[in-house]
Amino acid sequence: MKYLSLLLLLLTLSLASLHAGLPEDFASANANLASGHADQALSTYKTLLSYPEFKTSGSAEIWYNRGLAEMQTGDAVAASLSFRRALLLDPALAPARLELSKTLGSLSIPVPNGWRERTMQSIHPETLIVTGALIGWIGALLLVVMLFQSSRRKGPILLSLLLILFGHGASVLGTLVDPRRTARDSAVITAKTAPALRATPADSATESGTLEPGTLISILSRNGAWWYVSTGSGPGALQGWIPSNAVTPLLSSSKDSKGSS
Amino acid sequence: MQPTMKISGITKHMAVAVLLLTGWLLPLQLNAADVSVSAELSRPQISQGEMAELQIQVSGSQQADVPQQIQADGLQIRLTGQSTQVQMVNFKVSSSVVYSYIVMPLRTGSFIIPGASITADGRQFRTPELSFKVDEAKAQSINPPAGSSQSAQGILPPGIPMPGFQQQRARPAQQRPDEGRLVFGEINCPKKTLYAGEMTPVEIRYYFDARYPVQVRGRIDFGCEGILVERFPDPKQTREDRDGITYNVLTFHSLLSAVKPGSLDVAPAKLDCEIEMPGALPPGFDDPVFRQLMGGQAGISQQKQVTVKTSGLHLEVLPLPKEGRPESFAGAVGQFDIDSIVSNPHPAAGDPANLVVKIGGRGNFKGMGAPVLTNTEGWRSYPPSDKFDSSDELSYTGVKSFDFTLIAQQLQKESPGCEFSYFDPTTAKYVTLTSKPLPLVASPGGPSPAVAGDSSAASSPNPVPSSGQKSPKNVPPKEGQPLSGINLRSWTTPMHRSEFLIATLAMLIATAALAGILAYWKIQSQGGTLASRRRKHITELRSLLTEGTIDAGSSYEAALEYAELVLPPSEKRDALILGLTERRDLLKYGSGASLPLPPLEHRELLESLELTTKSP
Repeated sequence: MKYLSLLLLLLTLSLASLHAGLPEDFASANANLASGHADQALSTYKTLLSYPEFKTSGSAEIWYNRGLAEMQTGDAVAASLSFRRALLLDPALAPARLELSKTLGSLSIPVPNGWRERTMQSIHPETLIVTGALIGWIGALLLVVMLFQSSRRKGPILLSLLLILFGHGASVLGTLVDPRRTARDSAVITAKTAPALRATPADSATESGTLEPGTLISILSRNGAWWYVSTGSGPGALQGWIPSNAVTPLLSSSKDSKGSS
Repeated sequence: MQPTMKISGITKHMAVAVLLLTGWLLPLQLNAADVSVSAELSRPQISQGEMAELQIQVSGSQQADVPQQIQADGLQIRLTGQSTQVQMVNFKVSSSVVYSYIVMPLRTGSFIIPGASITADGRQFRTPELSFKVDEAKAQSINPPAGSSQSAQGILPPGIPMPGFQQQRARPAQQRPDEGRLVFGEINCPKKTLYAGEMTPVEIRYYFDARYPVQVRGRIDFGCEGILVERFPDPKQTREDRDGITYNVLTFHSLLSAVKPGSLDVAPAKLDCEIEMPGALPPGFDDPVFRQLMGGQAGISQQKQVTVKTSGLHLEVLPLPKEGRPESFAGAVGQFDIDSIVSNPHPAAGDPANLVVKIGGRGNFKGMGAPVLTNTEGWRSYPPSDKFDSSDELSYTGVKSFDFTLIAQQLQKESPGCEFSYFDPTTAKYVTLTSKPLPLVASPGGPSPAVAGDSSAASSPNPVPSSGQKSPKNVPPKEGQPLSGINLRSWTTPMHRSEFLIATLAMLIATAALAGILAYWKIQSQGGTLASRRRKHITELRSLLTEGTIDAGSSYEAALEYAELVLPPSEKRDALILGLTERRDLLKYGSGASLPLPPLEHRELLESLELTTKSP
């Protein structure tokens, strides 16, 4: 008990030192946003997101609030990116889903509402993955014990097999629906005007269509200032080259400075 | 689904081949086709109380993602249906999808309908902006139908469920089919005078002479500008005798509604089909002997392309009256009733309550807007989600549920009420339905520790960062208000994080270790492995043999077992085993088995087994 208390104290101290000054700045930005000073709030949110704490992790709440500030300043495209990032971190964050829906509606972009989105609204993918893996491994351990029992009873063996199947199945399902799985290769069109998709990486190449600002795309390959992107995964998905400065990756760590601008 | 009627012999194989070829060519041609998007209004200017139709045509694609609603201030624009057309001319296939929207003005004035973003074949398109004007309502030029004249005009009386076609016989396009006529069509729309937005059933029947095999090609082509026709479900196939001729009858049921007031002449409903007609035999084969040889079936059939048409349809479409139009009217035309429930009458503090308003009955469910909440003081509400449960295949009757999310801003003991207005075409009057507030207990959430503007939160030394705290999403913020609290989450999925992989590896090792430990215990409890048990047994045999403490019979038993276990297979071994067996049997069945083995024989036995006597 003594050691446990010590461990908790150390953990609390480490967390407190990790976010020194962050809560105050965050509350100050929220106050600015609530009182209508969206520009000041946006500036603070951008500063907060440049803190080293957010290199490998993120806060859905900060991205959501930043999206609200961007909406208030009239930048719907940037807001859509912020709401998407908030949902990337917490797919069950209902306010972010509502605001993203409204933002995409204002940009006349269809709102995705497939089975993945519906699953994520019910349960966080991380919970599904971790809990599923835990149940699966408990099933595996149980199966090992059962197999080495002198009297092999079918019931417990079947139960352990079911635990393995459902546990690891849930884990795989959670990974499949987790938007972070493919986020590294996803990006949002953030150019002010709809950029053209081109057949080859050149300004003079044939146009095969345009992409509306705010559209989510998949990056298939990167070639300097040109990226080869796809608009979807279906058989009719359009692919083509697009200038990399017209898009912002969904993962903020790599190119956040551009997304913030 | 293409309704296929009787197809005979050779034609059947040809049809299969044509279908296969078409199926192979179709995607190639469709993929090669250019996709284009256009938008068109049925009328750029209407009067208040009227509705217009917006059609978005996507050419070169069979499927597109379009918005359910198009946001335009002062207008309500809702998707009502779609129709697909595929044409193949000289093996060149072209396809188009037309998405129909009802445009209902909420006030007068000039409007710009913004472009809608369409995704087709993975590409994004934007329709052009359209100008639209709504004037004050004009005087009605057509009198609404009096109740007494409805039955004379063929209006379905209230209460007759859909489809009610058996109640009234279809009126043929002509009074009676001509003698020998192969195919003909009839259309029956019981209501010739209807209001804009009102849905009315329509029945289309196609008659095919049963003596000739027929294959239907394509889909039914019916409609015109200002008319919305719902998708036709699969037709019913029956047989019917007319003037001594048996006909196969395909009956299509659907619903139509008009968006454009005035007189409308709807073009005949057309259906393309192929009839297999008997043809003349070539010269030299057209004789009774040949026919007899072929079992009376000899003949060359020829395919005849036929477009079967019904008669046209004349409709008088009346505008919805402006007089008496309630503020809560949102486009519903038909006969409806209302019911409401609160799905969670005791939500936790700060949690939302859900008021589900159910609108049941018959009418234009697709075009109706949401009911309006009343007594909303102290409540924050969000636009409702809706769900329609149809009780017929045409979606004419059913129940549409609107789920309102309500958040109490103060202590509430009853839900808001609800008001829903619709236009009843049978009485030509607007009807407003209300549902009373329902009892519930809801209270607002407590103050959040870091709510925006809260100075105590702002000055709190460390109010936030705990990944274990309750997520702020559980306390719905006011719409557009920032969230408080920070929860750190990883940008990567657990499968891509080292701690998860290490934990997985650790579990794998733990499972393997557990399996190893249990296996070891099990082996130990069984006296070791097979090899170790064998080795142990050989050692025991060797001891018995070399010590010489056992009787002669047991010595030879042990020697035999030892030889079989230890000596490598050879002729010498076989001979030895044979000799040992004979000696054992001699002792066993003779005498002396229980006596000690003589020392000389003992030494010879050990030598034969390549063993040495144990030193005394």
